[in-house]
Amino acid sequence: MIKNNFLNKINNSKKSYIIYKTTKGFNLYTDFSSKIILNNKNIDKFLSKKFKYNKNYKNTDLFIGFFGYEILNNLIKVKLPKQKNINFPKGIFYKPEKKITLKEDLIYYSNKSYKVNKNFKININKKSYTKIFNRFIKKIRAGETYQIKICTKYKNKSKIDPLDFFCRLSKTNLAPEAFMIKDKNFSIISCSPENLITKKGSYISTKPIAGTLRKTKKINKKKALKFFKNNIKETKEHNMIVDMERSDLSKVCKPGSVKLIKEKTVEEYKDLYHYVSLIRGKLKKNVKNIDIIKAMMPGGSVIGCPKISTLNLLNNQEKENRNIYTGSFGFIKFNGDMRFNIIIRSILNYKNISEISVASGVVVDSNSNHEFNENFIKAKALIDLYK
Amino acid sequence: MIYVIDHKDSFTQNIVHQFSLFDKVECDDLSQINKSKLNKASTIVFSPGPGSPKDYPESSKIYNRFKGKKKIIGICLGFQQILYCEGANIVEQKKIYHGFQSEIITNKFSNLFDNGSKFKVGRYHSLKLKEPFYAKNFYVTMRCVKSKVAMSFENNKDKIYGFQFHPESFLTINGNLLIKKILSA
Repeated sequence: MIKNNFLNKINNSKKSYIIYKTTKGFNLYTDFSSKIILNNKNIDKFLSKKFKYNKNYKNTDLFIGFFGYEILNNLIKVKLPKQKNINFPKGIFYKPEKKITLKEDLIYYSNKSYKVNKNFKININKKSYTKIFNRFIKKIRAGETYQIKICTKYKNKSKIDPLDFFCRLSKTNLAPEAFMIKDKNFSIISCSPENLITKKGSYISTKPIAGTLRKTKKINKKKALKFFKNNIKETKEHNMIVDMERSDLSKVCKPGSVKLIKEKTVEEYKDLYHYVSLIRGKLKKNVKNIDIIKAMMPGGSVIGCPKISTLNLLNNQEKENRNIYTGSFGFIKFNGDMRFNIIIRSILNYKNISEISVASGVVVDSNSNHEFNENFIKAKALIDLYK
Repeated sequence: MIYVIDHKDSFTQNIVHQFSLFDKVECDDLSQINKSKLNKASTIVFSPGPGSPKDYPESSKIYNRFKGKKKIIGICLGFQQILYCEGANIVEQKKIYHGFQSEIITNKFSNLFDNGSKFKVGRYHSLKLKEPFYAKNFYVTMRCVKSKVAMSFENNKDKIYGFQFHPESFLTINGNLLIKKILSA
């Protein structure tokens, strides 16, 4: 009960805080002593920072936060055209002074009754989606991209209690890279399943997902594997991502050290099966964290392939800034270790406007109707929280 | 030294690592070619990449300058780039192979690989070589078992080689051996 009271207490205290999933439960970080709002000018300095750390290393000796999509493009010299922009920060990192370990079942009693608006507006209707889809199919035929993900955005105006949303979301979808941020004028609630970077010492790994199946009583792990193996579209997308992530890791790893540790396996979560691979390599000497971030981000599995030409195709088509969507959240420890996810399946609530972005892959034999609906299904789990 | 010319592809570093098993490798983006590296290299590799050969006139120039003087290897787009410089038409194909594993077979024109040997390879291409195609000393040496599309060529006189598939892909069985043979040819 102490921990439960704690959640209510901290939420009522108006303090900013961050919750991040661990293998056993969650970590909560708070009492931020500094907050760095990233821009194109200070990001190099932030990422090249050398931290003092010694034997008395504390578990709060880290920066935790996120990179938005735009700043990650700019880092690898991809420019975005002028887009509709809500001027949300391009990235924020916090230095916590307190870390609290929480158990997996978060219990929190929301004591405020907010008026939550259930209706969402979509930024691309089916007709314009089909148009974009057909344009991209032509680009695939011409070889300009091998796979590309069209992003749609759902928006509404409502005041929400992010902790209540996060606790409810974690009950129905306990994702391995889930996190939430509560700050003064914004909050992020995410059930991201995908780890992009795990760096420990001189080893680095990435765990791309391509293929998701909802659990039912009839489907066990074995059947899920069969389903994925027989699904040509998922298999092709997955293959492409494995080779792309191997190449991204190879930019910063020793030749011959990049290995496919798990090849197309099924991982079982509370409500879902994911089709995942695990790739690991040993870092070259003198590689800096900024080199790793430039090599790996934005995470290829949610963009398409090849990365640069596909980013350019996407950016020229998108009228609205993606903000956090397909950016990365995680931490950089003072000893250089890192953990970052890919920000998908997330809600950004900024100045009482919520936005949920989703994307699904266009490969040549996908169908625009199917993919448009797929996008809606992905958004629905989050939209359903607005009840 | 092997000099890999990158066409901004997301598979190029796999090639760099694969070739590094056999020799020192340098790699630069096509827009940042280093002339002294280019001159020093014993082998030039044209990487895969988006688009089609006509989009990369600089790569064509490099090919024409060093043809016959250095060993040249092309992979995927690089394969098409070399053939394009030799007068081939590179065209869209009906079925598109992005992330496909296919079986291919070697024919009697190959000097390096046994006639009739079959193996599995990874493919990422929407374009293909239009046939019939003839160029002096160039022979198509591997084909897709099902579609018969050209999968590799050899020009053993000028030491020019190309693969339409990706020897560096995890989908290609014994890719390292293919590269080893080409490099020691």
